[in-house]
Amino acid sequence: MEEYAREPCPWRIVDDCGGAFTMGAIGGAIFQGIKGFRNAPSGMNRRFIGSLAAIKQRSPIIAGNFAIWGGMFSTIDCTLVHFRRKEDPWNSIISGAATGGILAARNGLPAMAGSALIGGVLLALIEGVGILFTRLSAEQFKPANPVLEDPSQLGPPPPGFPHQQPNY
Amino acid sequence: MESSTSESSNTYAPSYSNRDPGMNVPVHSQQNLAPLSPYLNFDPVYLPQSQPEFIFPEGAARQRGRFELAFSQIGVSCMTGAAVGGIGGLYNGLRSTTLAGHTGKLRRTQLLNYVMKQGSATANTLGVLAVMYSGFGVLLSWGRGSDDELNTLTAATATGLLYKSTAGLKKCGIGGAVGLGLASIYCLWTARDRLQGFRQEYNPALWVYVNVRHNLPSYMALEHACH
Repeated sequence: MEEYAREPCPWRIVDDCGGAFTMGAIGGAIFQGIKGFRNAPSGMNRRFIGSLAAIKQRSPIIAGNFAIWGGMFSTIDCTLVHFRRKEDPWNSIISGAATGGILAARNGLPAMAGSALIGGVLLALIEGVGILFTRLSAEQFKPANPVLEDPSQLGPPPPGFPHQQPNY
Repeated sequence: MESSTSESSNTYAPSYSNRDPGMNVPVHSQQNLAPLSPYLNFDPVYLPQSQPEFIFPEGAARQRGRFELAFSQIGVSCMTGAAVGGIGGLYNGLRSTTLAGHTGKLRRTQLLNYVMKQGSATANTLGVLAVMYSGFGVLLSWGRGSDDELNTLTAATATGLLYKSTAGLKKCGIGGAVGLGLASIYCLWTARDRLQGFRQEYNPALWVYVNVRHNLPSYMALEHACH
């Protein structure tokens, strides 16, 4: 089942770290491959060597950055879930803001604030789209409205309606 | 005495001999039942063999698939790489800052730089290896339709070959051999209980002993019938 596919919280951090690393590795490989291809001297052989060299050099760094981002986000998320004792989109938004802030800590306070703002807005967008999809896909499961009868159209109640003991 | 035809389940005249399998009742208390009670002298075959019974949703395999395990394997590799690299970087940093005689804030910054640099380098290396191994493993298990140790060995060899592929043919071969070696050790370690019986069967003296002991009643019956 889809909702049980995620690990419980401590192991979720390792899973998210690995998932983020994979995304960074594959994305980095594609983008650095194209970039290295374009920046290499002309000639197909040299272009392939250039793209391969760029992949080898840059994509592990990009993957590592993604992994740190994912691991820290998941850690803060699990901490918030543990302390707030509930799971809602606010956990993700606060985690995104905090991760952006912490990872820019070496660049001074204004950079931290800007990074935190970007992280929070990004996560809010992602969570908003997720909630929208959930609402749209739940529409198909909505039961049909029961036909409500107008009470004045019904006949008069049987004599002694609410009080009489039922006679079996 | 009674002939050999009345040995098998004759309820009107049970044989009560030592050739009747229902009479396999030991008269001394058994080692494996002694914790239950010293008076439980019955054949352990009658105890229900309890295996854990798990409930699986429909369509789920008994063993977790490679793709499910992939992300946690990659995450574990990354984190152990970061830890190992961080410790190595701390050691190197302490040595070089002590040699250079740095103190105070400069030393702290230098140590931090060493730790982060070495830690992230090792984390990225191990993580990339894990991504390659998991990718090959998932492709192989999806292509072959089944999951076994051959997939592990092939994926590890391919990872070693791919990782060192740009360093020249000899280093590429060494990388593949290292991958194959590590995967073989891992497979032998995880399958060691399955290999035990394999090793016992191959000892000829043990085989003869077990065979004779198992067939002793029929040998005795044959000897009895011959005389």
